[in-house]
Amino acid sequence: MIESNPAFIIAAYAVTWVVLLGYVLHLVRRNGRVSAEYESMVLKISGKKK
Amino acid sequence: MELRAKVGFNSVASLGVTILVLLGLALGPDTDALRNAAVGAVWLAALFSGVLAFNRSFQVELESGALEPLLQYPGPRWTLLAGKLLGNLIFLTLMVGILVIVGVVLFGVRIPADWPSLLGVLALGIVGLVVMGTFYASMASRSRAREVLLPLLLFPMLVPVLLAATAASKALLGADLMHEAGAWIQLLAAYDLVFLIATFLAFEHVIEA
Amino acid sequence: MWLGVAGFGAVIAAQAYAILTSPAERDMGHLQKIMYVHVPAAWMTFLAFFVVLVFSVRYLWRRNENDDLLAAAAAEVGATFNGLTLLLGMIWGRPAWGVWWVWDARLTSTLVLFLIFVGYLALRALVDDADQRARWSAAVGAIGAINVPIVYMSVTWWRTLHQPPSSAATLDPAYTLGLRLNAIALLVLMIYFIKKRYDIARLERSVEHMAEAAAMRGT
Repeated sequence: MIESNPAFIIAAYAVTWVVLLGYVLHLVRRNGRVSAEYESMVLKISGKKK
Repeated sequence: MELRAKVGFNSVASLGVTILVLLGLALGPDTDALRNAAVGAVWLAALFSGVLAFNRSFQVELESGALEPLLQYPGPRWTLLAGKLLGNLIFLTLMVGILVIVGVVLFGVRIPADWPSLLGVLALGIVGLVVMGTFYASMASRSRAREVLLPLLLFPMLVPVLLAATAASKALLGADLMHEAGAWIQLLAAYDLVFLIATFLAFEHVIEA
Repeated sequence: MWLGVAGFGAVIAAQAYAILTSPAERDMGHLQKIMYVHVPAAWMTFLAFFVVLVFSVRYLWRRNENDDLLAAAAAEVGATFNGLTLLLGMIWGRPAWGVWWVWDARLTSTLVLFLIFVGYLALRALVDDADQRARWSAAVGAIGAINVPIVYMSVTWWRTLHQPPSSAATLDPAYTLGLRLNAIALLVLMIYFIKKRYDIARLERSVEHMAEAAAMRGT
């Protein structure tokens, strides 16, 4: 039986969580940026219409 | 126009040969190592110089601005693709022919008795290369960073061709103890057919101005 | 947002269950536990690719912008899961085979698939005109997806014709429940990721539209 070496098992789960959490963080930040851009665009356009 | 085409071919073919030489230098000088590497080397040289040929095949219209008027012409789009395919097929066949001859010499390949089958493998491989290369070049040539985009898009898609052509060729150059060449040839033929149809269907969406 | 919370919660629960209840495997010992993250990640990758295929074809058929945006979202999420699959495969491989990489059928085809995903995303990044970007990505996405089974098949032949088949991964029933739970949990999370990425894409497109409209009005 191959030596189970817990380091690799831990590494696998650690990498998994880093990727999953990292990606969701990336999405949240990008969403924030785009929403802000969207808001300012709307303001700019409605501002100009007046 | 013809002179330009000749200049294009000479430089691309020269590049292909140069790549072969470099591969020989990098992988040699042991004769056995070279003989084993021959098939892979020829195909890689064909791939790397092929991308230049594919981008160039759309370059002519791009430079002279002839693509727009061509698109106004109310003919079916697939005739445009067919024309490019034929042009690239001829170009690549000639080029791979040269590469094979140079490769046989430089890498010490022993021509097997069943060389017609080997030619068949080459032909099917070239068709796959041209079908995919022409299709992706129709987009890449009109985008930014075309030199990097075409290989980036094309090479992963050509993996089955590369595997099948090299495996079948190696088998045919050897004794084909496991009779695998036939299976690979069928895969190549199926690949060529599937993507010939698929790219023709997709082309009209891609070529719009 | 609650979908995200549910997704992460489900993954934590499934992983905990699997880790705590699965016995040591005959050949691999506890290394087998990596399978609970590696295999679902691989399944999600293929599923994401399928979504890209479906919505790419749908876009070419109906030219509805949202189909293109959904395909793009699925591609980005799929590429992420693809990268994860590769990393986990390597982490599993090192203790199991002694090397960080082997050119075996599954790892190699997953790597090629990753390159296809990357090409798709690079194309989108390099084309500025929205209509052209949508049409080209849809074509590339559909044709790329058609190649997925062909790549898989050819790499498998490439390996098995010269190598004896590696020990078949016939799964002991003791592990299947844990695997399925993790797969379902990861699926919920992936749906959340794709939806969120899609929303971002819709917003970005709206901003683009507004900017175009403003430019045309000469403001």
